Amino acid sequence: MAAAREAEFAALQSLLKAPSRDAVRQLCQECFSSPAAGLGPLAQRACPGLAAGPEEAEQLVSALHNLTRHVVYHGLTRAEDILALFPENFHQNLKNLLTKIILENISAWRNEAQASQISLPRLVDMDWRVDIKTSSDSISRMAVPTCLLQLKIQEDAALCGNSPVVSSLTMELSKETLDTMLEGLGRIRDQLSAVANK
Amino acid sequence: SQQFSALTEVLFRFLTEPKEVERFMTQLSDFATMNKISLGPLKNIVKSILLVPNGALKRNLSSEQVRADFIALGLSEEKASYFAEQWKVNSPTLTRLAVGQTLMINQLVDMEWKFGVTAGSSELEKVGSIFLQLKLVIKKGSQMENVYIELTLPQFYSFLHEMERVKTSLESFS
Repeated sequence: MAAAREAEFAALQSLLKAPSRDAVRQLCQECFSSPAAGLGPLAQRACPGLAAGPEEAEQLVSALHNLTRHVVYHGLTRAEDILALFPENFHQNLKNLLTKIILENISAWRNEAQASQISLPRLVDMDWRVDIKTSSDSISRMAVPTCLLQLKIQEDAALCGNSPVVSSLTMELSKETLDTMLEGLGRIRDQLSAVANK
Repeated sequence: SQQFSALTEVLFRFLTEPKEVERFMTQLSDFATMNKISLGPLKNIVKSILLVPNGALKRNLSSEQVRADFIALGLSEEKASYFAEQWKVNSPTLTRLAVGQTLMINQLVDMEWKFGVTAGSSELEKVGSIFLQLKLVIKKGSQMENVYIELTLPQFYSFLHEMERVKTSLESFS
């Protein structure tokens, strides 16, 4: 385990060949956001200037990915904690640069991780309309209000990659159904406030 | 005329509870036996009689009009008035039933919910965020479909707010 970590940090030294700090910053962001499966193509794309060969590029990209994800996973927020991850003999300036970049991005990355975590299909939008039914085949004159509710639902982000599927569901609620639903929603609200006030 | 009122009672009981077909049939055959009529012709008569309230419901007839209809069909005044009275008494229930039968598209039939806290995930060791999950049961044609969705807390409050607005709107039209 320790040997693997050493090798990873060694791979990071390739960043010393980077043309600019911004290039390093850019690469860090791309490595964090990419899923493990996307690292291969990323290595090919991003590293012609940085690495001697494809193998070195892959190791670099993988090391950056693991480092950034490790920090986000453990919720490290202090510079000291991040600096402590690096081995003793690691290049000082590079270590400081990487720590700085990570700290800058940590809360955005955390939000990104939360947004892409697995979940049930998510509600994205809702619209409603109230209609009055005036007649039907069973009764020719009436004035019954009814509610049409349209929910836009996005399937699990993790399954759809970059093009999430949003489906639309329209449903009809009678007044009684709406009252019952509101009762249920009210109970949820009460329970939420009870939890919040504890 | 006591027979007539008994028969009318049976008829209206069926009309107000249309699902109780077996009970209706039993009561009809009891009536036939008690009054020494054969069931077959009785059923035919009842079929014709039932056409009147159903048509009346569709056309929103008043009890006066129902009475007039029956007299035109040859019923005695006394019996027609009695029937019309029964009609008046039962029409709110019958109207409600007819409205209930009116077409509804993707009717929301049931809602279940649970909420909890996300403790951790494969990307984040400690999360601590609240999620709300709703299960909506929708009637699509003759089948039920379950729809599961997840809402964040702000979405929940906004959903609740919108539903309260819908309720106000529905109430202003009732």
